[in-house]
Parts: sequence; C-alpha cells; structure tokens
Amino acid sequence: MIGRLFFFLLLSLTLAGPASAEQSEAERAARWSDLRHAIFGDRVVEDAGDLVVIDAPARAEDAAIVPVAIRLAETLAPEILSLYLVIDGNPSPLAAHFLFGPLADTKEIATRVRIDDYTYLHAVAETADGRLYATARFIKAAGGCSAPAGKDQALALERLGKMKLTLSARLKPDAPIGAKLLVSHPNYSGLQMDQLSRNYIPADFMQTLDVSYNGRSVFRLESDIAISEDPSFNFSFRPADSGGPGVLRAEILDSSQRHFTQSWPVPAAPQM
Amino acid sequence: MRISQRAFAVAAILFLFAPAPCRGESVLLAMTEIAAGVFVHNGVHEEASPENDNAIANIGFILGDDAVAVVDPGGSAKEGRELRAAIRARTDRPIRYVILTHVHPDHIFGAAAFLDDHPSFVGHAKLPGALAQRGDYYLRRLRETLGDDAEGSEVVAPTILVSSRLDLDLGERRLVVRAHGPAHTDNDLTIFDEKTRTFWLADLLFVDRIPVVDGSLVGWLKELDGLTVIAADRAVPGHGPVSVPWPAAVEAERRYLETLARETRAAIGVGVGIADAYREVGQSERGKWLLFDDYHPRNVTASYKELEWE
Repeated sequence: MIGRLFFFLLLSLTLAGPASAEQSEAERAARWSDLRHAIFGDRVVEDAGDLVVIDAPARAEDAAIVPVAIRLAETLAPEILSLYLVIDGNPSPLAAHFLFGPLADTKEIATRVRIDDYTYLHAVAETADGRLYATARFIKAAGGCSAPAGKDQALALERLGKMKLTLSARLKPDAPIGAKLLVSHPNYSGLQMDQLSRNYIPADFMQTLDVSYNGRSVFRLESDIAISEDPSFNFSFRPADSGGPGVLRAEILDSSQRHFTQSWPVPAAPQM
Repeated sequence: MRISQRAFAVAAILFLFAPAPCRGESVLLAMTEIAAGVFVHNGVHEEASPENDNAIANIGFILGDDAVAVVDPGGSAKEGRELRAAIRARTDRPIRYVILTHVHPDHIFGAAAFLDDHPSFVGHAKLPGALAQRGDYYLRRLRETLGDDAEGSEVVAPTILVSSRLDLDLGERRLVVRAHGPAHTDNDLTIFDEKTRTFWLADLLFVDRIPVVDGSLVGWLKELDGLTVIAADRAVPGHGPVSVPWPAAVEAERRYLETLARETRAAIGVGVGIADAYREVGQSERGKWLLFDDYHPRNVTASYKELEWE
C-alpha cells in the first residue's frame, strides 16, 4: 500500500502549476482552496482565530530544516482528535497528520520540515465532533525538498532507525511530561537525481510513527517526504498512572517497509 | 617569473581590448607561483555570481618534470578552461591528474574542461556517493546562478578513489594525497607536495572567509589535530590568501569551530531551539570573518543537528 499521503503527493502534482515566489495572493488562495477540497472534501473549515497558532521563522535559514510548532488554545486542546500540517507550495503538500491518543497533551507539538518554495503553511485541528479549525502562516524558504541531504553518509547509514529521547523532569504524578524525540532517518524525498547514474534516488521516508506510554497511545503520525532528514518531534503526554514508573515506546514504519522500535523508561514521579 | 608575467599581461590585454566577453582558451586565469612549480589562483571572497563565474575558491596546479596535476579544476567549465589555458601557457606536459578535493561546486565544476586531456580524476572514496546525492542540485543551482556562463559545466565522476593515502608521481616530484574523515565535508582530500613542502589543504583550511561546516564539526576538530602535526613550509587554504604559514594560519579556524561546538552544546543544553540558536551561538566571531551572516546561521543549524545526538 502506497499510503494516503503519497496519494496526495501524486494528486498535488496534477493540481494547478507549481508554486513560486512570484505567485500572487489570489493564486495562493486558489491553491489552498484546491488543497482543502482534496484533503477535507466538502467539510466546513473554520478560521481558527487565536485557537490554533503556527510558530515558525518568517524566513528560514535552511529550507531543508524549518522548525514548525503548532499550539492549541487551552480551551480547544482537550477537544482535538487530530492535527493536519499542510505546506501549500510543496510537491507533496500534506506534510503530517497527527492523530492524538488518550494520553496526548495536545497543547503543543513541534517538528522540522522541508519547504520547497515561498509558501503558506496551514495547520488544521479536527475536534472529536468533526469540526475543523484552520490557521495559516507565510514562510519564505526555497529549495528544501530537493536540497542535498546527508552531510555524513556513513554515519547516516550506521545510525539508520536509531532514536533518541529527552524527557522533561516529572514533578507530579498528574503533570504532563515534555518529550523530544529524534529519529535517525534520511527521509529521502525522491526528488534528487543522481547525475552519474541519471536515476532519481528513490524516496525513502518515515510513513508512520506511533508513540505510546504503557501500551496506550500518545499519538500516531502519518508523515511524508516533507519531514526533514533525521525527523524531530517535541510533544507532551499525560502518563495517567499513579505516578509511574512507566515505559514510553516509539514505533516507526518507513516507505521501504523497515520497522524500527525503541523504548525508554520514564521515571516515577517524586512521592508527594 | 618571466613567463607568468607575460601570461598575466596577455590576460590583462585580452580583458582590456576584447570587444566581447572572451570564451574558450583565449583567457588565462591569473596564477601566483607560491613555490617552485606550485601555481595557485586566488578565489574572490564572494558568493557565486555571473560576474565571477564561480571562481571563488583557490585552485591551481603543480608542475612535475613529466606531468601536471590540477588541484581543483574550478567552479565552472569556464574557469576550468581558463585554468587549462594558464597551464598551457607554461607547459606542454600532459595533464595527468585532476584532483577533486571535495564535492563542493566552486571546486569541481571546472572538471569538464579537462575531459579531452583524458587525465585521471582523483577523488575521495566517498566522493561518488556525495556527487550522486548532490551533483544534480549543484548543477541546477550553478545554471540558475551563472546562466550562460555555466555552459559546459557538468558532474565528472572520479576515476581514482582514495580511501586513505595515494602517492602521485609527476616526475621528480611526489604528491601525497590523503583522504580525511568527515570534516568540512565527508569527502575531503589534502595534497602534500614533498618537493617544496607545500601543504594544500583546500577547504579543510579557511582563512579570512568563514568556514563552512558541511561534514562534521566534531570530525573537523579531530582532523585538525592530525593535520597540524604535519610539518610544512606553507599551506594553501581553499579560501583565503594563496599561501599562508603552517600551522599558524589554522588557529582562527580552530577557534571558530571550537566556539561553535562549545556554544551550540550549551544552547542545546538549556533548550534553545534549532531556529533560535544562531542568535546566541558564536556571536563573538562576528566581524572576524567575511560572509559571516551568509554562512554562520547554517553552520549553527548543522552543528545543532550533529550535536543534539551526543
């Protein structure tokens, strides 16, 4: 199975011409309208106002590694089942779909993405009762999807699939724990040509990431080539146990059908 | 030296009186003979542009009794042709080797100008992999940037790969080519000319122009430890003056890289994000390097990505 996101890649290539820095606002609006319909069909997509905020640099220093954080208002966060990140100008615009589990603390999630051209980013939060809240942010960056990856290719190969987790301190049994997860994976976009062989380097990217705590889901991510090389995620979870200790587990399936799993102990909260 | 002065004069006259931009073999690249038989062209401290034909790196050639070795053919086929013309203005000896010190466009895209000489193209064992990953992207960028002046530039594959050391005999002159671990890139070569004790470090040594971290920051610092114990009468940096004292000239680069490592680790330690780190890291180096704002933020991002795995 190629996967739904890859389907959108193919679809997007058939949509109105490639994005470019010279695109007019009307063209950008038309692009989003097309994408919105492709992803959400006829569902109503409401303006999120201050309920959903995208935090990203206005101008990226490195278009292949653009940090993006999505924040949800305290009032909205508990209602949210899933979150879409769309990069309108990318060859594969639907960059990520986070599906939150019962243990997710959805107030903020962050990752790093590739951006191929000056573009709007859209974050769309979906509530349990099916409402969609969208917000947009414009970013000046170009060339991120076809930019060369791999500064140290031997290391990349040796480290493939390895993960690193950093946890914030666990102060109270019921407080959310912040986590930063790094995954070593080239996330090849399939858009780089090998000049010597005249072949494209095949796409090879993380398709799904499942994060769970003690067997209960924190989130599942369906992702794509727009996630930067060595994917990085900042998220929070509520252990919902009596204070631990517990085990956080991450499970990855990539487009080459490789499967990577790693687990980390989560220390117990201090006795109150 | 008489010949080089004449060649320079010819080049100057062509520049002054040519009615249209010169093409092909008629223009000679300006060379400095920094030691007997070691010729270096001084790259300008600029980003690639149509005005400079991507001639922004120090490139050149070494003359033996039997043959010539090119050390980096330059940033475009046009620069490569001008380098070739500068060689042919001095000698008819065969161009036996074209050494590609690493994958970066300002060093390799002149290679196509030497194809008719049928030299061996010498590269690091990891150069083919890097060319596969990046060659297409670099070529497209070169064409975008230089326009017509990129014409003829292409990705040329190395025909001799070096994984540790290779000695090249040019006739009464031995060059020691060493392959290094990931540092400036993951495919860096240096060349030591035993005859004049000239150490050609290419982009493992930046002087005046800010170093670019595109391999491994930790690896580069480690390589510097090994490089600085090699005794030489002079060094050729990839960017900077054509000849500098060795190892004294490496100290500024080492200070920058050490600062980058120390302060990036500190930023990661206190949870500064990858996008914000460059505002805090290495600010004491501002003003000490040309093109600081063009490359420093990317260096911090690259270092952050590397060091967050520690």
